[in-house]
Amino acid sequence: MAKPPQPLDVGRTEFRRVEMYKDRWASRDNDSGILALSDDKLSPSQLQRYDLFKDYDEEFLERISPDVSVAKWRKGSIFFEEGAYLDLAFFIVQGEVEFFVSALSERSRLSMPIFDDSRTRISEGPEPFRLATPVAAASERVVLPSQLRKPESSRSITFLSSIDIVSLPAGGEGFKLRPGEIFGEIGAMSGWPQSVTARAATECELVQIRMPALRLMKNESKAFKERLDRVYRKRALAVQLKNTPLLQDCDESFIQELTREVELVSCKPDEIVTREGGPVDALYLVRSGFLKLSQRLEEGQIVVSYLSKGMTFGEAELLLDEIRGWTCTASSVEYTELIRISRDKFNKLVNNYPAIKRQLWGAAVARIKETGANRKYVNRSEFIQTALEKGLVQGNSILVIDLETCTRCDDCVRGCADTHGGLPRFVREGDKYENLLITKACYHCRDPVCLVGCPTGAIHRAGVGAVVEIEDNICIGCQACARNCPYDAIVMHEIGEIWPEDMIPEGLRGKVRLLASKCDLCYKTNHGPACVNNCPHGCAIRVGSLEEFQGLLAKHE
Amino acid sequence: MAKKKPSFLKNWVESPSWFRAFLIGVALCAAAFLANIALSEVRPYNAWGLTYGTLAAVLMAIVALYGLRRRTTNVALKLRLGRAQPWLQFHLYAGALCLLLTLMHSGFHVPKGILTWWLWVLSIWVTASGLFGALLQRWIPTILASGLGNEVLYERIPDLITEIKDKAKTLAETCADPVWDFYKKNLARALEAPQPRLIYYVDVTGGIQGRMKQFDYLRRLLSPEERDKLNKLEALYKTKLEIDAHFTLQRTLRGWLYLHVPVSLVLLVLVAFHIFTILYY
Repeated sequence: MAKPPQPLDVGRTEFRRVEMYKDRWASRDNDSGILALSDDKLSPSQLQRYDLFKDYDEEFLERISPDVSVAKWRKGSIFFEEGAYLDLAFFIVQGEVEFFVSALSERSRLSMPIFDDSRTRISEGPEPFRLATPVAAASERVVLPSQLRKPESSRSITFLSSIDIVSLPAGGEGFKLRPGEIFGEIGAMSGWPQSVTARAATECELVQIRMPALRLMKNESKAFKERLDRVYRKRALAVQLKNTPLLQDCDESFIQELTREVELVSCKPDEIVTREGGPVDALYLVRSGFLKLSQRLEEGQIVVSYLSKGMTFGEAELLLDEIRGWTCTASSVEYTELIRISRDKFNKLVNNYPAIKRQLWGAAVARIKETGANRKYVNRSEFIQTALEKGLVQGNSILVIDLETCTRCDDCVRGCADTHGGLPRFVREGDKYENLLITKACYHCRDPVCLVGCPTGAIHRAGVGAVVEIEDNICIGCQACARNCPYDAIVMHEIGEIWPEDMIPEGLRGKVRLLASKCDLCYKTNHGPACVNNCPHGCAIRVGSLEEFQGLLAKHE
Repeated sequence: MAKKKPSFLKNWVESPSWFRAFLIGVALCAAAFLANIALSEVRPYNAWGLTYGTLAAVLMAIVALYGLRRRTTNVALKLRLGRAQPWLQFHLYAGALCLLLTLMHSGFHVPKGILTWWLWVLSIWVTASGLFGALLQRWIPTILASGLGNEVLYERIPDLITEIKDKAKTLAETCADPVWDFYKKNLARALEAPQPRLIYYVDVTGGIQGRMKQFDYLRRLLSPEERDKLNKLEALYKTKLEIDAHFTLQRTLRGWLYLHVPVSLVLLVLVAFHIFTILYY
């Protein structure tokens, strides 16, 4: 017979909740350096005291307030480190914040939010994480955890929005921001790791905004969007454009010109950017997110390609006079940021730089070939469509099982359960694609929508790394994350406890406690993901990119 | 012309490097045995024979650790004892070498003593059942992956069948007489419980397609509304047949362990007793 739910120890719960609530606003687990933190929830009137929130009405502020806090940090505190995934942006109210970067060569490794080639070694004991200081930075390079290192083969890719503040000399003196400035927002919005280390140069008071609120604020207020864009243009755009393979040969003055004139476009999921047949007026460069390219075929639309960070769209249409309109309909798969280079600027670019023109021709030919092939062979198109629909492009670490070798022994599930106190964090069920089973295990998405709407911040990116985890102690079982997850990877468990009578929010008092549970890649253990480790036939595989997924399919052809 | 991949290695050998190591082991055993024949008598109790026996016993003990690892996953992971895959490969190939050493120990003769006879027979049984299981594990997953639309958890099969049965019954009760009669005569019993069938071993989809044909004639006679209901019944029946295929094949994947594991445990106990008697007497 099941044990009846037991009332919780009131003091213990409250203590834990306060402690964990504090951690939620710091990217570092130990000794966060927070001196004081605002109450659980700031009221709209409290928020309106800050210049940042003046444009918003009370109803809106009420909505975002669970995702906003004000914290006082002691001098020398680290807000985030180079390579950290953070879902927070910071607005400086008082004090100064300084930033450092390591050597440029090291920095180029930061952008890939996937784990190293073996994937299962992501938690082989924490590697020492030395901090770059202004004095030491010139001689000592920041040592990054192995999971953040980008595979050699991918280094040529430039991930634009991974670089937050890039106008710093490598390993040189720190760069300082003062009251009224915002930082960390590019990393928070794009879901990519920070490229700098941020530290309190003095005692600081900061307004801290979590990604869901930041996104809502950007959508709600044009002025705020323009403010973020201005900051982005000022701090990052020029260097990012210069680091794009397409524009790396351009001279400084042209880049500056582009920086002033390009348009920054933000798209919500499923927003149409260009319509097939519509007038071609610009070249688009993807800053973050994904674009889906589709074409009309018979009575329907066929997906012919997709674009990810660093890729361009429109080169074929702009270079070939014979093409009168867009050859594809481009729509955003998720929240996507684009850079729009107008036709005039594009013409100037290709006229001034023949090498770029050649490069664009290459890209145009490749795109035409690809779209043609995908139209002709519908199964290729089907794969892209499936990959976009099932979120395969989103996942940093998707657990797939090769059904041709899987003996259904469930050792993967057993390994997971044994590592997590008897409750497995995934089900060996899910969608099938050819011989591969895409399990209902957390994908650790590049843009984790499960984070949106969590009232306590229990679900968050775990410190440095792409792992999305749920902190049991502050999860109130509201199910928001489980509802938001498009892949059914979060399940709710009853844990045999009843919420105490002093519980906040009041609505939970006396109710049975639910707990959200999902895969955490076993990152707190000294072994890799137990599912992969414990599979006796090597058919449980972690996949971090579409290319890897295709590689697995190709093995069986 | 593209080089053809060796199909045996591809289809039946999970890890070619372990297979190669096994072949080297077999070659070393063969060389040792030939040297034994050339230099001395083949007997269990001389230095050669005792060496084979000792090696077989040690290897058997190590091979048995795989079962322990499976049952203490948490400890194995915490102690970082390595991935399960190489453990299983070692279990397989070292287990086979174990039998070879046992046979060498007995001089490839059937022993005359009761205990040694049982040891000899059980060694062959355990290795043969293990080999049988390994073959099943290579063969059945390819059948399961080849033509079934659904992937089903074995433990959930009873619940799924109950769900399908209830849904089908509820739907059939709303149908006109011909469909209701068809349901009672052809479907009700078939949906009652999982039904293992041998045909799934040969062709995982063939049986299903054949059974779906019984719906075709009736469909032609029905109104569009009744046809729609029949289609839904057909879909439920098809899912049930797929579950039957999973039930049949997954049960076999689990069932063979009963041929292997209990006998292995008996063998281990008898080997321990055999060693004790030799040392004691």
